[in-house]
Amino acid sequence: VDVGARRRRGLFAVYCLASLVPLVVLGAVLTRGYQSQGAERGRDHGLAQAAVIEEMAIAPALTGADLAEGLTPAERDRLRTATDLAIFSGSLTHLRVRSFDGRVSFSDDGSVVGAVPVDDPAFQTAARGGTSALIVDDADGRTTIRVLQPVVASSNGRAIGVLEVHLPYEAIASKVAVETRRTMIRLGGGLLVLFAVLALISWATTRALRRQASGHEHAALHDPLTGLPNRELFRREAKEALSAARAPGGALALLDLDHFKEVNDSLGHHAGDELLRIVGRRLVTALPPADTVARLGGDEFGLVLSGIEGRADALRLLTVVQRSLGEAVLLDGVAISVEASFGVCLFPVGADADDASVEDLMLRADAAMYEGKRGTDGIVVFDPAAVTQHQSHSLVLQHELRDALQRHELTLHYQPKVDLRTGAVSCVEALVRWHHPVRGLLPPAEFLSVAEHSGLIKPLTTWVLSHALDDYLLWTAAGLDWTVAVNVSARNLDSLDFVDEVRRELTRRNISPDRLYLEVTETALASDLDIAIQVLDAVAATGVRTSIDDFGAGYTSLAQLRLLHVSEVKIDRAFVAELPTNARDAAIVEAIIDLGHRLGAQVTAEGVESAEVATWLGAAGCDHGQGYLWLRASSWPDVVRFVSAREGRTVDPPAASTDQTAEHHLSAKALR
Amino acid sequence: MSTRHLNRRRDHRLVALVALAFLAGTTAGCGEQSPPPAPVSAGLKVDQALRGQLPEAIRTKGELRIGTDASYAPMASFAPDGRTIIGMEPDLAAQVGLALGVRVTFVHADFGTLLDQVASGKLDLAMSAITDTAERGRQVDFVNYFSAGTAIVVQRGNPAGITGIRDLCGHVVAVEADTTQVDLLARTQRNCGGRRISVKEFATNSDALLELRTGRAAAVLNDLPPAAFLTSAAKTKSQYQLASTTQYEPAPYGIVVAKSQPGLRDAVQGALQTAYKAGVYADIMKRWNVTSGAVDQITINSGR
Repeated sequence: VDVGARRRRGLFAVYCLASLVPLVVLGAVLTRGYQSQGAERGRDHGLAQAAVIEEMAIAPALTGADLAEGLTPAERDRLRTATDLAIFSGSLTHLRVRSFDGRVSFSDDGSVVGAVPVDDPAFQTAARGGTSALIVDDADGRTTIRVLQPVVASSNGRAIGVLEVHLPYEAIASKVAVETRRTMIRLGGGLLVLFAVLALISWATTRALRRQASGHEHAALHDPLTGLPNRELFRREAKEALSAARAPGGALALLDLDHFKEVNDSLGHHAGDELLRIVGRRLVTALPPADTVARLGGDEFGLVLSGIEGRADALRLLTVVQRSLGEAVLLDGVAISVEASFGVCLFPVGADADDASVEDLMLRADAAMYEGKRGTDGIVVFDPAAVTQHQSHSLVLQHELRDALQRHELTLHYQPKVDLRTGAVSCVEALVRWHHPVRGLLPPAEFLSVAEHSGLIKPLTTWVLSHALDDYLLWTAAGLDWTVAVNVSARNLDSLDFVDEVRRELTRRNISPDRLYLEVTETALASDLDIAIQVLDAVAATGVRTSIDDFGAGYTSLAQLRLLHVSEVKIDRAFVAELPTNARDAAIVEAIIDLGHRLGAQVTAEGVESAEVATWLGAAGCDHGQGYLWLRASSWPDVVRFVSAREGRTVDPPAASTDQTAEHHLSAKALR
Repeated sequence: MSTRHLNRRRDHRLVALVALAFLAGTTAGCGEQSPPPAPVSAGLKVDQALRGQLPEAIRTKGELRIGTDASYAPMASFAPDGRTIIGMEPDLAAQVGLALGVRVTFVHADFGTLLDQVASGKLDLAMSAITDTAERGRQVDFVNYFSAGTAIVVQRGNPAGITGIRDLCGHVVAVEADTTQVDLLARTQRNCGGRRISVKEFATNSDALLELRTGRAAAVLNDLPPAAFLTSAAKTKSQYQLASTTQYEPAPYGIVVAKSQPGLRDAVQGALQTAYKAGVYADIMKRWNVTSGAVDQITINSGR
């Protein structure tokens, strides 16, 4: 802005200078012209005066005279009489009557010195009947007008000689000077006014340009629909707020409208636009004036909040905002209740504040908002100060995870599913582990949420799927008849591309689709059921088995079960832990087993830790069990060894890498 | 301070006339102070037979000095330079000079002195709208080249209400001394009875006009061509007008030659006849707008 202002001031200066130059030139030309005009007027004055002198004094005195033969005493007397008074009063400085050959016939003071030479152009002009006037400095140092003209002494027009008259110029000069000065003052004043007008015009023009430029700048930084700042300005404001390090802190919030797409689809774009405008207005009204409200695009808004002292403060403020948004909106006669999901990231304090970037905050707020959309809370606040060291470096973790996928730092462990009737292993569930180069083997809890929120979950799932299928080929080659289960994230279910990917992976390895289970958590289904169901239907259509993970722990409605073609239901460990003593759990588990079977699905119990529970489950008709009772998640060769040891059979495990140090027994799904 | 000469011409139209005269080959000038302009090639060739008629002295001198009163435009008057004499007469005389192979110099003199100066030999010729009269014919010879009567010039608006020669009775009339107009007035005087014409005579015609201009005279008698010139020239038409279109007592103009110079007289007559035949005469009459006074032939002493 400073540079722009300076440039505009420079433009103004250039305008002023450019208009000054022609004005100065004009002034100089006019001044010069007026001065020469003044001199010319002086000469004209002299000519007129000399003509009168010649006609009224000289010619009458010389009637009948012949200058070639000299003057008679009488003629000389007449001349003297005619000129004396004028000389005396100063009207004349000098007067000479000359014959055509230059002889001085009469001179007021008798002198002949200083007379104009015969070959002077002025004399020649007079001898030819012309007149001439010249402003000269005479011998006495006086400035005079010297006029030469013929003497015509009779009415017949005959010229008898040349009259040389010197007239005083001072009086005329001073008069001319006064007039010149007066004109100069007027001219100068006029030019000054002209310049002022030009400067005013320049100023007005540059101001108009300035306004236009700021208009463009405004347009570049604002959303045309709502008039709110756009993403770019939001970023700047957030950056400023962040760098200002204002106590007591601030927060960056993102929100998007729930069901906006439906409004757009059902009521039209005009209604959608109107809704966005209303939301923008309500946000501005609900927040303190110092806070920034921006539309980031689509139905997404960004807020920069100031004076937020902590999580509770942010919640309190945003609850008010949420309530204000929640008031019914009448669009095309349809009353709509606006619901929005808020993701908030408090500004970090202390040492972290220096490292924090707006992008970082926006990612966190976005993740929080996503979290809120999936859960029940409309407002999710992320407080950088409240998380542990390594969590606060989730971004670092993201980068590392991305690298890990390429550097093969990830490995798969498997947890067997055991047939409760035969005790045989029928399936193994693939669980990912990360051999972090610095921090050692990391359980999913350390990085899965980062993967979920950063979009890395898709490549991660792809990685798990392809490696699990590779391992499947290995153990099948070793003579083991295990199916394989892979966990799928909610984000995998948002596009049919995933179905193609699964089919491609299976086809490439020539694996029958019914050998693969895709395990989906309840919460994955919660976010966008329509699409998820479509994807799962398509998966089922390929022959791949689907499995509901952690059944009963979330908020899966029975309606989902009605819609889905599920091959397996996995009872959440929460219901299994206290079996068989907890009668209520027992009743639920029995009901789920019955429900699953009636829907044509097999039922697996998670978290089986004792033989007693296993026995109870078997008696209750549960098909499979999974848990420490049998084996923690281990490399598949370990699973092979476990099976061999239990069954007394010898199966040669292939020379795959093993990881005996695996102490982490939380499965990825447990974190969800 | 700029030092630039300012030259002013008083009347551009007259300047143009001067230029015209120069082109026609005017050689007139008052030779005493500066040599006359060289004769231009246009015009007549020297006629040796005519030149042979010139007196020996003139041929030797190579110059004809012609006296004139240069106050009678368009016959003869001063150019704006106040020194060159221009008019129909200088132009015609220049042709005579060309035909005779001599330089022609016009000399300004009072009208009344012209005849005496020619007769005494101070001037070779006189050419100044001099009417050939019997009285003058007794003193000198005339070579007749033009014919004009008298016209009455009054102030513009004719304040005295003069419409004819008889109206001059009881008024002051200014005339150039020794002209035929003086005689005309004397004859008119006889019919005036008690209301006599007060006649004022002046050495030059311009002095007479000055009297009229200043209101000291009611009328000036001029030959018609100069009178017409006065009342139509840009500089003077706002001051004068003709009392009537009547021309009184038309008579021939003659170039005055001393009776002792019959050779010169015949040579001049011959030269003028040559000019007449060559059409130069008619050109000059036309140029000065005096064709009404042109004659059919050049005669000698026909005015009686």
